[in-house]
Amino acid sequence: MELVWIALSAALAIGIPAIATAWAQSRIGPAAAASLAEKPELSTTVIIMIAIPETMVILGFVVAVIIMLRGGGAAAIG
Amino acid sequence: MILPMAKLRILGPRARLPATIEALQDTGLLHFAPPAEQSPVRTAPLSPRQARRQRQLGRVLQDVDVALESIGCSAQKGAGIDGSVPSLARHARLALRVRREAQGLTERLARLEEERALIERYRPFFAAFRALEAARGTMPDLIAYHVVLRREQAGALPSLRSALGQILGDTFELYTQALASGEVAALLLVPRSASERIDRLLAETRVQEIPVPHGYGSTLADAIPRMLGRSEQLPGDLAGARAGLEQLSRAQGAALAGTRATIHDQLARYDTLAQAGVTEHAFVIEGWAPQAAEPRLREVLATRLGADVVVEHLGREQWRAEDAPVVLSNPKIFRPFEMLTRVVPLPRYGTMDPTPFVAVFFPMFFGLILGDVGYGLMLATGALAVHYRSKPGTTKRAVARIAGACALFSIAFGIGFGEFFGDLGRRWFGLRPLLFDRGEEVISFLMLALAIGVVHMLLGLVLGAISSARTAHPRAAIGRGLSALMVVVVLIAILAALKALPRAFLTPAVVVVLVTFPIIVILEGIVAPIELFSNFGHILSYARIMALGTSSVMLAIVANQMVGAMGSVVVGALFALLFHLVNFGLSLFTPTIHALRLHYVEFFGTFYSPGGVRYHPLGHWTPKSETTA
Repeated sequence: MELVWIALSAALAIGIPAIATAWAQSRIGPAAAASLAEKPELSTTVIIMIAIPETMVILGFVVAVIIMLRGGGAAAIG
Repeated sequence: MILPMAKLRILGPRARLPATIEALQDTGLLHFAPPAEQSPVRTAPLSPRQARRQRQLGRVLQDVDVALESIGCSAQKGAGIDGSVPSLARHARLALRVRREAQGLTERLARLEEERALIERYRPFFAAFRALEAARGTMPDLIAYHVVLRREQAGALPSLRSALGQILGDTFELYTQALASGEVAALLLVPRSASERIDRLLAETRVQEIPVPHGYGSTLADAIPRMLGRSEQLPGDLAGARAGLEQLSRAQGAALAGTRATIHDQLARYDTLAQAGVTEHAFVIEGWAPQAAEPRLREVLATRLGADVVVEHLGREQWRAEDAPVVLSNPKIFRPFEMLTRVVPLPRYGTMDPTPFVAVFFPMFFGLILGDVGYGLMLATGALAVHYRSKPGTTKRAVARIAGACALFSIAFGIGFGEFFGDLGRRWFGLRPLLFDRGEEVISFLMLALAIGVVHMLLGLVLGAISSARTAHPRAAIGRGLSALMVVVVLIAILAALKALPRAFLTPAVVVVLVTFPIIVILEGIVAPIELFSNFGHILSYARIMALGTSSVMLAIVANQMVGAMGSVVVGALFALLFHLVNFGLSLFTPTIHALRLHYVEFFGTFYSPGGVRYHPLGHWTPKSETTA
C-alpha cells in the first residue's frame, strides 16, 4: 500500500508541474509565433522564452525522483 | 573583452573640415559623436548647394541600385570611381541606360518564359489534334471545334455523340484521342450553319473548347504549327536575352558597383559634415576610436593635413557619463561564442563582455547533459563535416566550432559517466564510470548540478561587483560582493544544519548572515532581499542539468533494451538504432536551449548590463557594411 502512495506522490509531483508548464507554453506559443511573424530575428529569444516554463516540470521531476529514492520506491519497483 | 576606447577631439580651421572628414573616412576608425547640447559649438546645416547635391546623389543612388539589381550585381564590390561632378554625371547616365536596357531584357525574358509555359501547357494536345486534323481530310464547309473532356467527363462521350446525332443527324464527324493525363481530346467537325446550336450544346454539357492563344491565328488548326515553330525558336531567343543580361552585367557591373560605393561614401561624408561642430572659423569633431588605433589615426591626419588640424585625447573623467561605442574583441578560441552573446543586446561600455565565460560554461553544460562518448563522437563528426564545408568567418564556421567544443565536453563527461550510447559501452567493452553512474546515482548528479549552479552564480555576482566598480557605482559593487558572500554563507549554514558540514560552522554563518543582511538592504534598497532569494531560485534552476542528463541516459538505455525486447534481434537492432537517432536529435536541441537559458536568464541576470552602442566608424562603404550597419 505504501508503494502506491509513493508512486502516486511522485506522479503528482511531476504531473501537476507538467500541466502548468504546458499551460504556460500554450500561452507563450501564440505570442511567440506572432512576434516571429513580425521579427524573425527574435527566433533565439523566442525559443528561450518557450523554454522558461520548463523549469517547473524539471523541478517537478527532481522532486519526483527524490520521493521515489527517499521513499524506497525505486528499490521496491526495481 | 570590450576593447578600451579613446575619446578624441579633432580641431582645425573650418576650411579644412571636408578634407579632415575625407581623411577620417579613409582611416575607417572614428565613431562620430555629435556635440553635446551644452557645448559652445553648434552644428552647421548643409549649405543649399550641398543639400541639393545630397538630394541628387540620393536619386542617382536609387538608379544605380535598381540597375545593379536588374543585372544581378547587387552584392558586387566595386573600386570607388572618380567622385568629381562630371564623372558622377557620366555614371548617372550610364546607370539610367543600363537600367533601361536591363529592364527591357528582363521584360523580354519574362514574355518569352510566359510564351514557353503557354506552349508547354498546349503540348499534350498538339500530337492528339495533329493526328485528328490529318484524319479530318479536306471538308471545306465544315467548321472545327477543338474540345477537351476532363477525366471525369470522359464517360460522357457516348451521350455527347448521341446528342450531336439528334441535332445534326449524320452531318458531323467526331474524332477522339485519349491523353496521357486521362483527359480526352476531341475534334468535332460540324456544318457551319449549325455552329450556334453546337455552341449551346457544348455550354449545356459543360464541355470546354480549347481557347486559341492570342497571336497564333484564329483556329487551333492554324495555331498548332505556329506554336510548334515558336517552341523551336524559343530556346534560342531565351538564350539571347540571358546572354544580353550577362554581357551587360560583365561590361557595366564593376563600374556601377564602384559608382554606388563612391556615392555612399559621399553621402556618409555629408551626414558627418552635418554632425560636426563649427564656429565661424574653426571646426571641432568628437568621436571614439579603439585606444590601440589612436596613433595610426593621429599619423594619418598629421601626414595629410599637417599641423593645421590638432587631435586631442579626452581623459576618461571627461566622458564617464557618456556611452562609448562597444567593440568586442576576444581570442580566436572564444570568438565563435560571440555569436551566442550577440543574441542579447550589446553590453554597455565599461561593463563585462560575457563571451569568455560563455565559451567555457556553455559547452560544459552541454557536455554534462549529453555526457555520452558515442553521441559526442557523432556530434564531433558532424561538426568536422560542417567545419570543412564552411568558409572562415561565417556563421556556419562558428556553429561548427561551438559544436566541436560541445562534442569534446560530451566525450569527456561521457568518459566520466562511463557512457557509450547509454550502457552499451559497459556491455560491450566494460566501460566503467570514473565519476558516477548517472542512471543510478541521481542524487550525486543533482548535487553536482547544484554545485555548478553555485559556482556559476557566484562568478556572476563577482563579475557584477567588478562591473559596478568599473562603472563608478561603488555602492552597487559592495552590494553585489556582499550578495555573493551571503550566498556562500547561507549555503554553509544550510549544509551545517543538514550535518553535511561540521555543526561548528552553523553559528558563525548565521551571525554573518544577520550582520550582512541589513548592510545589503542599506546599500541596494529593499529590492536586495528579493534579489538574494531569487539567486537561490536561480541556483535551484541548475537542477535541470541533472534532470535532462538523466532523461538522456534513460532514453539511451531504453533504446539498447529494445534489441532483446523485440523478439527478432534484427528488428530490435533497427528499432534501437532509430531510437538512438531520435535521442541524438533531442540531445542536440535540448541541451542547447537549456544551456543558453541558464546563461541568458540565470548567469547574465547577475551582472550583465545591456544597452551598449555598436561601434560604427565612418569608413568606406561595402555591400556588407549595409547589412551589418
